[in-house]
Amino acid sequence: MKKFIVALVVILFGGLFSGFVQDTKDGDRLLGVWEPSNGRARVKVEKIGSKYYGKIVWLKEPIDPETNQPKTDKNNPDPGLRNVPLKGYRMLKDFVYKGKDEWADGTIYDPLNGSTYSCTIKMTDENTLEIRGYIGVSALGRTDIWKRLVVKK
Amino acid sequence: MLKRYSVSITRTWCVALLALSCFSLHAQVDTTGGAGDDEDYSQYDNVGFADDGAKRFCSPKIEGLSPAKLISVGYDYQMGYQMIADSLRTQSTFAPWGNFNPDTGEVAYSHGLRLACNIPVVSKTSLVWQLGANYWEQQYEFKDGNSLSNPMLTALRDNGLRTMGINTTVFKPLNDKQFLLFQGSADMSGDFQLSKLMPAKYLKYSAAAIWGKRPTERKQWGIGVARTYRVGELNYIPIVLYNWTDASNKWGTEILFPARAHVRRTINSRNMLFAGYELEGQSYRLYRNNEPSANYDMRREDLEIRRGEIRLRLMYEFSLKGFVWVSVQAGYRINYRYDVDRLADGAEIYRGFGLVSDAPYVMVNQLTNPLYFNISLNLVSP
Repeated sequence: MKKFIVALVVILFGGLFSGFVQDTKDGDRLLGVWEPSNGRARVKVEKIGSKYYGKIVWLKEPIDPETNQPKTDKNNPDPGLRNVPLKGYRMLKDFVYKGKDEWADGTIYDPLNGSTYSCTIKMTDENTLEIRGYIGVSALGRTDIWKRLVVKK
Repeated sequence: MLKRYSVSITRTWCVALLALSCFSLHAQVDTTGGAGDDEDYSQYDNVGFADDGAKRFCSPKIEGLSPAKLISVGYDYQMGYQMIADSLRTQSTFAPWGNFNPDTGEVAYSHGLRLACNIPVVSKTSLVWQLGANYWEQQYEFKDGNSLSNPMLTALRDNGLRTMGINTTVFKPLNDKQFLLFQGSADMSGDFQLSKLMPAKYLKYSAAAIWGKRPTERKQWGIGVARTYRVGELNYIPIVLYNWTDASNKWGTEILFPARAHVRRTINSRNMLFAGYELEGQSYRLYRNNEPSANYDMRREDLEIRRGEIRLRLMYEFSLKGFVWVSVQAGYRINYRYDVDRLADGAEIYRGFGLVSDAPYVMVNQLTNPLYFNISLNLVSP
């Protein structure tokens, strides 16, 4: 009886653990460098804890023509953050893998207008993401297609 | 024994708390980032698509453009002006006809609600498709309303004018520099009641098609053609799109000529000033039968008011909170046309600015030009 209970516990926890490992593996497919459709920036998705974050690692126009300095987040509604460099800025935040190639519960920040939108990410194939930013309900939003990039050696 | 057990419990809690605090420290992610990390950003200069077939598409927007309005609730107010209404004439001889006497109405003010929505149905990199609906009304408050005799003026006094319609917009990028833009709308315009809409044969169809280029992040332009009622009657005209933002992001233009043209002054991304004009108009069917209270059954005359006006204006648009924006306009309303055509069963007369036909209007009315104001609350697009 005792052996049976131990076996049951091992099977249950083993199953849960393998599911967790599989989910983690599936979720980690989001990691990498991606380019939004406008080609204006490149975003590197990283995992911190159990959540996914994307930071700007490249800008097509890195210099602010007004100041001749590297671009900063000058449209941020918080004046204290307006001097933060855009390169390195985390524009995707707090995404959690929900299964079925979807990451949700996150936000996307648009440095062009300083607005933060609710956001979901859908991976349509290994190299393509549908990023949907929306206001309140998903119907009031816009979807952008991001493509995976590979760093050339 | 009890003491040892208590120590063991305390140790367990300490470990749990320590683990929890580690997790909580781990969960406190720097929300901004910034270039303060030790990442070698130069490695991202030399990259390529993982998928060889990947294509870049240009966006429908440019940098610095004012945000598109998803939902808009507005109110329009024109100050007092004079409306000089003609007698009704025959189209063939232009002689007075029917029980229409010329009359002058003193409009104390005209005003009305303006509702609009534009909801994205498909919003992808390779295609943007929006569907929208709008409802505008214009009520006329006359100073001497009871003494009016001209049936057009009494119809305006009693019924006002309404436009309600549906529209669609399709943006199709061809590549990262070129795009196509299509717009189409079907509008019901007239003095109809919401409880008794007009037959579909009186719907007015407008459309526009533009081919455009977006050479930089700060400029897009395009040329095309439009079927429009903006000057009151049906016209086919060439159109030009030109949206531009300067390097400092402070100045720009938002132009869809000849429908509207504005110079934009961006105070910051949440406060914008505009100066320019908009051409507004529609063909309004006088449809409602007010007999026996009125002296004339307008429906039997098949009349449509060809209303076209130029609105010279200053606009201030700002974010009230987040995605809720307010737009305030003040300007001068210049009457371009308020003439009347007889359109049997809604069959159109196409004049082509007099090049195709010189058919006379059956009423040639005159309006003086007042100041106007408009305010709207808007939910703007991402």
